[in-house]
Amino acid sequence: MLRVGGKRLMGLGFGRQVAAFPFREARGYHERVVDHYNNPRNVGSFDKNDPTVGTGLVGAPACGDVMKLQIKVDDNTGKIVDACFKTFGCGSAIASSSVATEWLKGKQMEEVLVIKNTEIAKHLSLPPVKLHCSMLAEDAIKAAVKDYEVKRDKLGFKKGISTGENVEKDAVDA
Amino acid sequence: MWNRSKLYAAAKILNGALRPRPYLAQVFYPLPPLRRVCSEDSLFHRDSKIFDGSLHHVHLFRIARCTIYSGSPYSTCPGHGDGLVCWKCGEPAPLTGPFLSCVSCRAVQPVDSSVDYFQIFGQERRYELKGENLEGIYKEWQKKLHPDLVHSKSEKEKSYADEQSARVIDAYRTLSEPLSRALYLLQLAGILVDEENTIGDPELLAEMMDVREAIEEASDQKTLKEIQSQIGRKHQEWSKSFKDAFDKRNFDSAIIATQRMRYYERAIEEIVKKL
Repeated sequence: MLRVGGKRLMGLGFGRQVAAFPFREARGYHERVVDHYNNPRNVGSFDKNDPTVGTGLVGAPACGDVMKLQIKVDDNTGKIVDACFKTFGCGSAIASSSVATEWLKGKQMEEVLVIKNTEIAKHLSLPPVKLHCSMLAEDAIKAAVKDYEVKRDKLGFKKGISTGENVEKDAVDA
Repeated sequence: MWNRSKLYAAAKILNGALRPRPYLAQVFYPLPPLRRVCSEDSLFHRDSKIFDGSLHHVHLFRIARCTIYSGSPYSTCPGHGDGLVCWKCGEPAPLTGPFLSCVSCRAVQPVDSSVDYFQIFGQERRYELKGENLEGIYKEWQKKLHPDLVHSKSEKEKSYADEQSARVIDAYRTLSEPLSRALYLLQLAGILVDEENTIGDPELLAEMMDVREAIEEASDQKTLKEIQSQIGRKHQEWSKSFKDAFDKRNFDSAIIATQRMRYYERAIEEIVKKL
């Protein structure tokens, strides 16, 4: 079901290129990009309101792409236990976000913040015209982490009031 | 010896820089030089200085504003063809209208990149077009400029015809679609629309996410058509919003409007593919 969902999500304009691929044309999509398109990984959605979930929602105005990347974080260890994405855009954008979710799993939040778009682009052999897709993925990762931290701060504040912890915050409030 | 070769190199570079580059006109439209700018809207007016450099790269320069506005179909000032003559027969350019081909010997003229797309189609430099006659004017021009007409002519004339008709095609395409027209207007106004950066407007993105998901899930024509008309309405709204923002020189809002338009157009494309 996820696979079907993934295929339907992936938009198109891709069919022609996939046909060209077997001939290894210089302008075709790289095999890794095609792989991510045919075998989508981590497509889906987490509950936005779940406190352990961070959601990054970014867009590329040049092509009208939208990318949503979500992470599920273990509160105690700060480790990313799961990640998923939903992208409406070209094959390169989809592959970039797919790669991003794969790389996020099992890492600490600080670690993922240093993932650079150039690494994603290199992994997928993206042509220069598609570099902004990898940039989109990098921004989505950062947005997801930021969202999680903002959420955690807000909840931490609330916890402080109810349990009497986080004295400084209480003091500020008073 | 090395002094002389340096001089030659410098002269060559200078010569290359000064030579007109017709191919660039299609790739990157340069801002028109002073005397060609004759329009009521003061797009290049002094007050463009109020925009700080942080978001826009506005070219600031004096304009020589024509005081006589002829009101002819081509909306250009008299004396527009100042100093221009046909390269083949020497006939001076007509006083009104863009000088794309000679009226007496019919020779196609080299591309003059200071003639903008609006002038080619006899429109004022505004978002709303007057009349629906773009296609008619386009065909008229192609009757005069098409490369097929210069089969037996010189290489020079053939290359002029290639470039000139390509330019008219570009102009037609740019002006026909609202979004490209809007972006072109911004470009003419010297506003650099930075399309490389990602945007994080949560409202717009959440909305587009919902819309695209709805499109994916919609299985019947009726639902798709409903969504299409909804998005079409929003596109119209933002198109109007662009016009208002641009007229007021509020370029930030204008750019936001173009972004919205692009997202909606993308959604409509997807619907059309599904239908």
